[in-house]
Amino acid sequence: MTTADVAKCSIVLFVAVAFQQVVLDPISVVGAHPEVMVLLCVAAGYVAGPERGAVFGFTAGLVADLFLPTTFGLSALIWCVLAYGVGVGTSGLVRSAWWLLLLVAAGATAIGIALYAMLEAVLGEPGVLTAYLPQALVVGVAGALVLAVPTFKLVAWALPAPVSEASSRSSARGPNR
Amino acid sequence: MAASRRTHRPRLTLVLLVLASITIITLDYRGDTKGIVGKASAIAHDALAPIERATDAGFRPIGGFLAGALHGGAIESENARLRSANGALERKVVQTADIRRRLAQLARLDHLPWAGNLPSVAAQVVAQNASNFEATIQLDKGTDNGVEVGMPVVAGAGLVGRVVAVWHTGCTVQLITDVRSNVGVRFGPQGDLGLVAGRGQGRSLAVDLVAPGTPLHRGEVLFTSGLQNALFPPGIPVAWVSSFSSSSSASQESVSAEPSADLAVLSYVSVLQWQPAS
Repeated sequence: MTTADVAKCSIVLFVAVAFQQVVLDPISVVGAHPEVMVLLCVAAGYVAGPERGAVFGFTAGLVADLFLPTTFGLSALIWCVLAYGVGVGTSGLVRSAWWLLLLVAAGATAIGIALYAMLEAVLGEPGVLTAYLPQALVVGVAGALVLAVPTFKLVAWALPAPVSEASSRSSARGPNR
Repeated sequence: MAASRRTHRPRLTLVLLVLASITIITLDYRGDTKGIVGKASAIAHDALAPIERATDAGFRPIGGFLAGALHGGAIESENARLRSANGALERKVVQTADIRRRLAQLARLDHLPWAGNLPSVAAQVVAQNASNFEATIQLDKGTDNGVEVGMPVVAGAGLVGRVVAVWHTGCTVQLITDVRSNVGVRFGPQGDLGLVAGRGQGRSLAVDLVAPGTPLHRGEVLFTSGLQNALFPPGIPVAWVSSFSSSSSASQESVSAEPSADLAVLSYVSVLQWQPAS
């Protein structure tokens, strides 16, 4: 990653945290709100591949954990694995269908939210699974569908795909396309 | 060989990041990082505070608009009911109701009979639920105003929660409805003991450790017990009993309770400058 990439990623993280705190947190539907930070990590894995996505997810998780009174490092662990998984799972896909991005955004966000709740339960808070998870999933997935396109574009600007992956994707589509 | 290295590098990166995360979680769980993380968290909150204040006027209405759009059905039906009920006069009452409610909350904070001589800091609720996996509120008072982690937070009608994170200009309060919250309570003429546990926002509270056959009645008020090493001073109303049942084979009564303070419409609260004995 170049210095310019790091600067762009820092700007994206800062904007996302501010957007989450100021705009999304007040939108409380049955006690849950959309989560742009999870979507950001999903987008990083999808756009920049597993390795860069994982590093971005880890960093974004540490930043997000600073604003939460829950266990520090939990978001970093889940989001780096999530971004890596998205990167690996979508690396072989031909990304021509418009709905693929929405499918990845919604599905991976749901997995990320569920993983977070399950790890909280493992760490001694089993009540989280029944008290918070259902509404967090519904609102989180709905928010991901609405915010997917601008978030993926923002991450693509900050964290472009590595040259090798980009060229392999274009070659997978065939020489005349 | 070069291709193999390229394939393995992302996996190695992931393993390193996972190990780093697990190390951080373990240190945080042991309490080794509380000081560092607390300071970093306070710096992060303080850094964002001016932006939040600066953008508040612009963004808060957008958040409110989106929230309103999501609750559109309920608002429409409420509007229809209001129109059919009383027209312009009814709307006027609705407009002033919110102001009256805020004033009443502030007035009640001036007369908290159960707070005794404890010094307190009045604070405004500025945000709810920083995470989807906790029931919290954020206040506009922090260390600059003498607020510290562990201090109890009350509203006019009773206990709201306790401060779990603080920075210069604000703090986070864990509500008594959060699943991590447990409050020791005392009730009834005999001073029976129980434990009020949160079950999530909007849900009733569970009252545990109530022995079978304990005399109870609906509406019974549960007060903080203030036992040794308790997290709250004694005598603060926590909740009232909404239902209870007992079976012959049960080891404890099954008791549900509702919070004394209306946690859904909090505008102003009071932070009691009291610290639990360590």
